[in-house]
Amino acid sequence: MKLSDIMGNAGLSMYAQVALVLFLAVFVAVIIRTWAPSRRRELHDAAMLPFNDELPASRGQES
Amino acid sequence: MPSMTGHAAAVPQRASTGALLDRFSYDDDIVRKFLFATLLWGVVGMLVGILIALQLANPFFNFNTPWLSFGRLRPLHTNAVIFAFAGNAFFTGCYYSTQRLLKARMFSDGLSRFHFWGWQAIIVAAALTLPFGFTQAKEYAELEWPIDIAIAVVWVAFGVNFFGTIAKRRERHLYVALWFYIASIVTVAILHIFNNLSIPAGPLKSYSIYAGVQDAFMQWWYGHNAVAFFLTTPFLGLMYYFMPKAADGPVFSYKLSILHFWSLVFMYIWAGPHHLHYTALPEWASTVGMLFSVMLWAPSWGGMINGLLTLRGAWHKVSQDPILKFFVVAITAYGMSTFEGPMLSIKSVNALTHYTDWIIAHVHTGALGWNGFLTFGMIYWLLPRLFQTEIFSKKAMEVHFWIGSIGIVLYVVAIYSAGVTQGLMWRAFDETGRLAYPDFIETVLKLMPMYWMRVVGGTLYFVGILIFGWNILMTWARRPKSYAVPVIEAAPLRGAYAPAHDPAHDGVPVPTSLRRRFVGVQWHRRWERAPLLFTVLTVLAVVVASLFEIIPTFLIKSNVPTIASVKPYTPLELAGRDIYIAEGCFNCHSQMIRPFRYETERFGEYSKPGESVYDHPFLWGSRRIGPDLAREGGKYPDLWHVRHFENPRNVIAKSIMPSYSQFLRTDINFEQIQTRVDVMVMLGVPYGDAVTRAPQLAREQARSIGAAIAEQGGPKDLEGKQIVAIIAYIQRLGRDIKANATASAAGVN
Repeated sequence: MKLSDIMGNAGLSMYAQVALVLFLAVFVAVIIRTWAPSRRRELHDAAMLPFNDELPASRGQES
Repeated sequence: MPSMTGHAAAVPQRASTGALLDRFSYDDDIVRKFLFATLLWGVVGMLVGILIALQLANPFFNFNTPWLSFGRLRPLHTNAVIFAFAGNAFFTGCYYSTQRLLKARMFSDGLSRFHFWGWQAIIVAAALTLPFGFTQAKEYAELEWPIDIAIAVVWVAFGVNFFGTIAKRRERHLYVALWFYIASIVTVAILHIFNNLSIPAGPLKSYSIYAGVQDAFMQWWYGHNAVAFFLTTPFLGLMYYFMPKAADGPVFSYKLSILHFWSLVFMYIWAGPHHLHYTALPEWASTVGMLFSVMLWAPSWGGMINGLLTLRGAWHKVSQDPILKFFVVAITAYGMSTFEGPMLSIKSVNALTHYTDWIIAHVHTGALGWNGFLTFGMIYWLLPRLFQTEIFSKKAMEVHFWIGSIGIVLYVVAIYSAGVTQGLMWRAFDETGRLAYPDFIETVLKLMPMYWMRVVGGTLYFVGILIFGWNILMTWARRPKSYAVPVIEAAPLRGAYAPAHDPAHDGVPVPTSLRRRFVGVQWHRRWERAPLLFTVLTVLAVVVASLFEIIPTFLIKSNVPTIASVKPYTPLELAGRDIYIAEGCFNCHSQMIRPFRYETERFGEYSKPGESVYDHPFLWGSRRIGPDLAREGGKYPDLWHVRHFENPRNVIAKSIMPSYSQFLRTDINFEQIQTRVDVMVMLGVPYGDAVTRAPQLAREQARSIGAAIAEQGGPKDLEGKQIVAIIAYIQRLGRDIKANATASAAGVN
């Protein structure tokens, strides 16, 4: 008996649906979290990071 | 002063804490190196592109030289523009932005240099092997196994250097661009390793461990995600850094960028099967691929809108600033190609477009517009910063922008029209119900004006990159005697993290309800601060999706019904197949007839999954510049093939196929065949007798084919030449199911 026979008869098809539900749940969680009002300020700061990256001691900040 | 801790972490530079600040500098030398490599390989890759465009317009441009023929140069073009040009462009921007976003010099200058020189050596190795016929025959994964190992080593070095930099960073939060880099680095490693698993049959020859349907599935899981994680996510990372920089304002919506990221990571990995609609791939798999491809529409457009709206309030600058012009066209091209991609992956649209030039037009919208223009804009932005001088000519930037844009439009419009034209001609029936264009060559010749228009468009784009190069070199020539290396000061991260915006500080009460706690609990924030966990989760999303999609075809029998009459290739046919692979015949000829009447009328019975179970690697192809060959066996006498290979125009007046007259002169290496058969046996192909006497069997078959050619009035000295092997292979194609109609009933469904 080959591995493919065993797998073929194991009835694993519903695992794909379980994975789909899990993926969806995580995805929804990310969305809720991202749009949570409590994070507005933190995410605003994060968005400004590219402008916070030149802090030379010997040269003025880049314009 | 405990209450100050949080603010010190958020705003590292404070005069009063000066003694606590680290002093360091960024490594811009490596950025400059990658910048020049981008330019060099851009010129080389696009020059090869123009040459192969000419070859399709007129076969004269193959120059009757094997190492300059289309089948061998087409992979060189794709590898050069993807991995050499776009790859080096990504590394340029990645090394520049990563150091600045993390407030840290790269983890190791030695690893940076190893990455740089290693990557260039790999590109040179590609240029020295592909034109000489060393190929694995898998699109964008053509390079043979020793080079594949080198790629894995260099990529790991890059990964160690990148994650090492994250580990020693001085900025707690990982900016969204870095997420895109992380996803790209880990996913490319996974894709590369699993698609290239093969068993060597010589220093530059190997056979894929997968066969037929499974190999096709792995290849397009890889192929599509190579587009996703080598040409899309890395460049989105660049967009999220350089677009705000150039527009001088933050990204339109950071939240949207988070959503953009996670949607792409969740969905992209599933989309691969849309490259295999209506083939022998199980239908459920291609439906999954189609659904996820269509879903990708939303996040891709979300990302495009996010990029474009970053220009809010700055649109007036676009007319003045060529850099912004490049970015706007690049992001628009991203939007157009991510509109077109989902559309092409809808099965009924795909039925028309698959195997046609429409796909070529689609990828060039992405490559020339998105990757090319984003690279140009980014490098123009970097030039004054890296070379510490004014850019040499702003006017030249304008000229480059316009000539490049016109080039893209000419290219894409021409090739898009060519695709639709040929697709419609293939499926046209006349009023009596017969094919309106039964001769395949008719559908090719119709495209010639468009092919010439592509040459013009491509050349314009190439002239643009020459202007770009000239501007770079002239700016470089004006650099200072020695570069100033600014010293940066930033506070190191503390071991324990105190949130920058403690709710208590803002006067917000500690959440009490479950929902509020979920919303308030800092789990995503923790992911962003815990790169290791973040990376693991990204890998999980990618791997789980891949396994769910791929494993069933390997392990569930009903997915690949076997056919009893399908037998392995004879040793001589296998040798012929290796020639077919080396010459890159699969670049123009598919071996996969789809179950449509207009396909079966033209080419014969549609292809079954069980027919390619011994095909290591699969050779289904993705583009029909010439006719499908899945049922070519027995269609023409051997002598026809001799004349055709010698010069295709001997038998088909206006064929654009290169001549392969070298087949009539080059000897078959019979002794080598045993090694090849041995490797096939290791892969589980039942070779029986041939296990011990492959060369002898091959010689016997070669003698009989040689005799048959002589009998038909052809040359008499061909029995030891390559032409005999390739004819043996071609004459075998698609005949097994006709040999014995009693297929085994392994197909359960």
